[in-house]
Amino acid sequence: MVSFWSGYALPTIIIILEVLAIIIPLLVAVAYLTYAERKVMAAMQLRQGPNIVGPFGLLQPMADGLKLLTKETIIPAGSNRALFLAAPMVTFLLSLVAWAVIPFGAGLVLSNINVGVLYLFAVSSLGVYGIIIAGWASNSKYAFLGGLRSAAQMVSYEVSIGLVIVSVLLCAGSLNLSRIVEAQHTIWFAVPLFPMFIVFFISGLAETNRAPFDLPEGESELVGGYNVEYSAMTFALFFLGEYANMILMSALTTILFLGGWLPPLGIPPLTWIPGPIWFFAKIAACLFVFIWVRATMPRYRYDQLMRLGWKIFLPFSLIWVLVTAGVLETFGWLPK
Amino acid sequence: MAFLDRTARGFFLSELVSGMALTFSYMFRPKVTLNYPHEKGPISPRFRGEHALRRYANGEERCIACKLCEAVCPAQAITIEAEPRDDGSRRTTRYDIDMTKCIYCGLCQEACPVDAIVEGPNFEFSTETREELFYNKQKLLDNGDRWEAEIAANLTADAPYR
Amino acid sequence: MPKLTIDGVQVEVEPGTSVLQAAEKLGIEIPRFCYHERLSVPANCRMCLVEMERAPKPIASCAMPCSDGMVIKTNTETVRKARRGVMEFLLINHPLDCPICDQGGECDLQDQAMGYGFDHSRYGESKRAVTNKNLGPLVATVMTRCIHCTRCIRFIDEIAGVPVLGATSRGEHMEVTTYVEQAIDSELSGNLVDVCPVGALTAKPYAFTARPWELRKTESIDVFDAVGSNIRVDVRGPEVMRVLPRLAEDINEEWISDKSRYAIDGLKRQRLDRPYVRRDGKLVATSWDDAFAAIAQRLNGVPGSRIAALAGDLADAESMLALKDLMIALGSPHRDCRQDGAQFDVSARAGWLFNSGIAGIEQADAILLIGTNLRWEAPLINARVRKRYLQGGLKVGVIGPQHDLTYPTTLIGAGPQSLEDLIEGRHGFAAVLKEAKRPLLILGTGAVQRRDGLAVQALARRAAETFGMITDDWNGYNFLHLAAARTGGLELGFVPGEGGLATAGIVAAAGAGELDVVYLLGADEIDGGRFGKAFVIYQGHHGDRGAHRADVVLPGAAYTEKNATYVNTEGRAQWGRQATFAPAEAREDWKILRALSAVLGHPLPYDSLGAVRRQLAATSPVFGAIDARVAASWAPFGGPGAVDAVPFAAPIENFYMTDPISRASVTMAQCTEAFILPAREKTGTHG
Repeated sequence: MVSFWSGYALPTIIIILEVLAIIIPLLVAVAYLTYAERKVMAAMQLRQGPNIVGPFGLLQPMADGLKLLTKETIIPAGSNRALFLAAPMVTFLLSLVAWAVIPFGAGLVLSNINVGVLYLFAVSSLGVYGIIIAGWASNSKYAFLGGLRSAAQMVSYEVSIGLVIVSVLLCAGSLNLSRIVEAQHTIWFAVPLFPMFIVFFISGLAETNRAPFDLPEGESELVGGYNVEYSAMTFALFFLGEYANMILMSALTTILFLGGWLPPLGIPPLTWIPGPIWFFAKIAACLFVFIWVRATMPRYRYDQLMRLGWKIFLPFSLIWVLVTAGVLETFGWLPK
Repeated sequence: MAFLDRTARGFFLSELVSGMALTFSYMFRPKVTLNYPHEKGPISPRFRGEHALRRYANGEERCIACKLCEAVCPAQAITIEAEPRDDGSRRTTRYDIDMTKCIYCGLCQEACPVDAIVEGPNFEFSTETREELFYNKQKLLDNGDRWEAEIAANLTADAPYR
Repeated sequence: MPKLTIDGVQVEVEPGTSVLQAAEKLGIEIPRFCYHERLSVPANCRMCLVEMERAPKPIASCAMPCSDGMVIKTNTETVRKARRGVMEFLLINHPLDCPICDQGGECDLQDQAMGYGFDHSRYGESKRAVTNKNLGPLVATVMTRCIHCTRCIRFIDEIAGVPVLGATSRGEHMEVTTYVEQAIDSELSGNLVDVCPVGALTAKPYAFTARPWELRKTESIDVFDAVGSNIRVDVRGPEVMRVLPRLAEDINEEWISDKSRYAIDGLKRQRLDRPYVRRDGKLVATSWDDAFAAIAQRLNGVPGSRIAALAGDLADAESMLALKDLMIALGSPHRDCRQDGAQFDVSARAGWLFNSGIAGIEQADAILLIGTNLRWEAPLINARVRKRYLQGGLKVGVIGPQHDLTYPTTLIGAGPQSLEDLIEGRHGFAAVLKEAKRPLLILGTGAVQRRDGLAVQALARRAAETFGMITDDWNGYNFLHLAAARTGGLELGFVPGEGGLATAGIVAAAGAGELDVVYLLGADEIDGGRFGKAFVIYQGHHGDRGAHRADVVLPGAAYTEKNATYVNTEGRAQWGRQATFAPAEAREDWKILRALSAVLGHPLPYDSLGAVRRQLAATSPVFGAIDARVAASWAPFGGPGAVDAVPFAAPIENFYMTDPISRASVTMAQCTEAFILPAREKTGTHG
C-alpha cells in the first residue's frame, strides 16, 4: 500500500501538479498575449486598443473568453462531425504537449529527455494534422483551401527549420535542450549563427501561420481559412493553440539562439536575476517581435511564400550547415 | 554599383529593418483616436443626425402638413396623414419616420418651408428593437423639445450659407 | 375662313375663333387663368398676352378673334416680358401659402409661376387680406388667394344657373362674394373647385387630406344617377380620397354632380365587410362557407316558383347577369331590376331609352318635361338643357310638379290629364311643339312610378308621335332613369320571366307568404318589413335597409372596388374600373354569385370577367359596344287603360340621399342639413 502510494500515486499527482503549473500560466500567458498584441498593434497604428473592460482594458481577454464560451457551437450540416470536433482538440493538445521538454531554468524541466529537439520537431510537424483535418472536415471550400495552404506552408518551412536546427546541433553537440542552452554559456548562438537566427525566426513566423505568412486564414481570399466554419469553444481551441504555438516558437528561439535562461553576460548584477526570469523576458521579447512584424509587414502572396521557402531559405540554410560544419571541423571546434 | 547596392540592401534586409523602425517609432506618437463614449469629436452645424419636429416659441408645432418632405424623401421613409384641426388649421394627424429606412440625406429638412422637420445633432439613438426606430409624431416632437437649443443654434450658425 | 400665321406657321380656322384657340390647334400652349373653353370670355387675367404684327401693344389672345392675314408671335421677348409682368402683379397679392394650400401640386398659378415668376418679390408693402366666405358644406374658400379670374362667377351664372356669386368693389379691393352670405344651392357647386385655377376655392370634405402626387388615379364611371358620368377616382392607399370628372363630351362634358363627387365618404361607413347569418333573430358574423351553407340549406327543396330576386340601383351588369342566370337555373321567373316599382313596357327598347342622347339636347328647340325634376334626377342633363337654353330659342314645358330648373319653364299641368290635353291641342304649348323642328320630351320615372304607368308611357308615345318627335334622323322621345343599374338590367333582361312577378308582385307575394326566398342584389329602397316571413338574402356593400332585414348578408363591392359594366340612360355601356379593394371579406359581386351557384349545384358557365362580359355581349349588343350608344328602333310600346287624374309626384325627396352610399355619407348629411331641410321648412311641407 505504501509502495503504491509512494511508487505510483504520489509521482502521478506530482506530475499532474507540474503539468498544471505549466499549463495554467501558459493559458494565462496566451490570454494576455492577445491583449498585448492588440495593445501593441494599436500603439503602432496610433489607436488606443482595448481600454474599457477593467483598468487599461486588462480584463478584455477574460471578456473575450467568456464570450466565446457562451456562444453556440455550430456544426455544419455537411461536415464530418467526429473529425470536425477532433481537429481543434488535436491542435490545442499538440501545442500543450510540446511544453513537456522546455527547460525554464537550470534543471527546471518536466521531462529532460535526450532527444528534446527531435521531440519538439515531431510535435510541431504533427500540428499540421489539426489544421488539415479541420479544413477537410468542415466540408467547405474556403476551409479546405485554407487547410491545404497551411499544410503546404508548414511542410515547406519545416525543411529550413530542420537545417537551421542541424547547424545549431553542430555547435551544441547535443539534442538535449538543457545541454543546448548550457552550450551557449560563452556566447549565444544568435551571434555566430546570426543569419541562421534570422532564417529560423522567419520560418517560425511561417510555421505558426503568423503575418506576413498568415495565408491559411487570409481573410481577403479565404474568408477565415481552415477555421471559417468553427465557432465558440471549437474556435477558441484553435485560437489558444495558435497563440500557444507562438509562445512555443518564441521559447524555442530563445533556447536555440538566445541562451535560454542564461543572462547575456555572466557578470554579477545580471547573474543575480534568476534564470527563469531571463527566459521569460527573452520569450516576451520574441513575442514582441512577432507582433511588431505583424504590425509592419503586408501579407505575402502565396507564390512568393513558396519561393522564399524553397528557393532562398532551403539553399541558404543548407549552405550555412556546410559552412558551419566546415568551420567547426577545420578549426577543431566541434564539441566533444 | 547600383547592382551591388541593391544586392547589399537585399542581403542585409535594410528595407525590412527600416520598415520595422518606422512602425516602432509610431508606438511613441500620440494617439489619434478618441475614447468615444467618454470623448466626442466636434460636429458641424450641418450635421444630419436624428430627426426632430420643432415648435414655435409659443408651443405651436411648426409642421403644416404640406407633405413636401414625404414627397422628396428618396427612401420613402416618411408617412404623413393630415386633416383640419379643430381650429381649422392644417395639421398632421400622423407623422411617422421609419428610421430604419432613412438614409439621412437631409432632403426633408431642405424641403421643409417652415423648418419644422430637422435633422438634429444627436447621433446616439440606437435601440434594442426595430420597433423603437419607427418614430411617430410624438417621439419627433419630444426630440424637438429636447434638442431645440442645439438645433436653433445650428440653424443660426448655418444661416449665412443658406 | 380666316388664315393667320402663328409663330411662322399658317393656320386656317373657323370665323370667330380666338387667337388662343387657333394657337391651341397648332399645339402652341398659351398660359391663361380666366379663359375657360366652356365659359364666356372676360379677358381679365391678361396672362394670355401675345404679340401681333402692326399692333402697338401685346393683345389678349383669348379675346382677339382671328382675322385674315394676322401674324401672331407667342414666343418673343416682348411676350415673355409681358407675361412676367402680369405674373408679378398677380403674385403681389397672392399669399404664396402653397405649403398649406390644397391646390398645391395641381395649381395653374404654381405651374405658370415656374415659367414666368421671379424667385423673389419686389413688393415690400403689406399684402391684401380678404375674409373667407362660407359657401356651404362643399366648397371651402381662402379668398386671399383669389386672383379675380371670375371663372367661378361665370360658372355659377352660366353652367349651374344659380347666380349667387359676384364681385364687389374694384381694383385691389375687388372681392368675389355671394353678396349676402349664403351657401351655394346648386347640384353642380363642386365643379367650382375644378374651375378655380388657384386655391381660393377648394373641396371642403377633402381639405388637407391628400396631395395630388400621392393619389393613384383610376378612370371609372359614376353610379349615383343614370347619366353615367365619366369620373376619375383618386385613391391613396386603400382609401378613395376624391372623385373628379373626366372629359366626356357626349355625357357629362367636364362636370359632375355634387353627389357623385362628395358622397364617397359613404364608402368608408356602414360597410358590410364579412358575411352574416341571422341566428336567433340576430345577425352573426360568419364565414363565406357558412353563409353559403345556410343559403343552400334553406333553398333545399324550395321550388323555383317560390324564389324571387330584386336588383338594386347600384348593381352592375355582370352581377345582374349572374343573378339572372342563377334564378333561371333555379327555375324562378320572379325577378325585377325596377325596385322603385316603375311601370313601363320593357318589350320595346325605344320606350325606356334616352333616345336623343344627352348631346342631342343641344339640337332640340322645344322640350317637354313630363313628371321629372331634372335638376335632381340628372343634374348634368339639366345643365345640358340650360346650355341649350343659353344658346337661345328654347322653350321648355313642364307637366308635373314645377321646380326651379335654372331656366324658365312653362307649366302645362300637374298630371297625365294635362298631357292628354296637350296632345289634343288644348294647351298653348302644343303649338310650340308643333312648330318646333326638333321637339323633344323627357319622361321621368316619377310619371310611370304609379299604377297607370303603362298608360302614361303609351300617352307619352302618342305625344312624341303627335308632335313629330319621331323622324328618320331624330328621336325626341326620352326616358330618364334614376339609377345606374336600371338600363343595364333592362338590357340584359333582368325583368320578370314567363309568368314572373314584377317588383310590386314580389313584395306582395312575399308579404303574403307565397314566396319562401327573396334575393336582394343591393336592393335597399324597399321597406324590409314588407317581405313578411320570406328568407331574405342580401348581397350588397352597405348595411342599409336590405341588410337590416336580411337573413343572410353577403358582402359585395362598391363601384370603386370592382371592374363592372354600367349602362347609362342613353343605352351606352361603359366600364367602371377597380380603384381599390373591397374591405376585408367582401368580394366582387359576380364572383359571389358564381361561388354561390356552385354551392347550390347550378354552377354558372363563366369563371372570369372576360367570360362574363362575353356572355353579356351575347345577351345584348349594347354590352358589345363599350362607350358607344346603341340606338333603338321605334316600335309601339306602352299599355292600354285609362290614366288616373292624380298629379305626377317627384320620385326623389332628397337629392343628397338616394342610395346606400350617399345615405352613409357625412358630407351628404351636411348637404341635406344645409340645403334640403331649410327648403322643406320654408314651404311648410315638412312636418
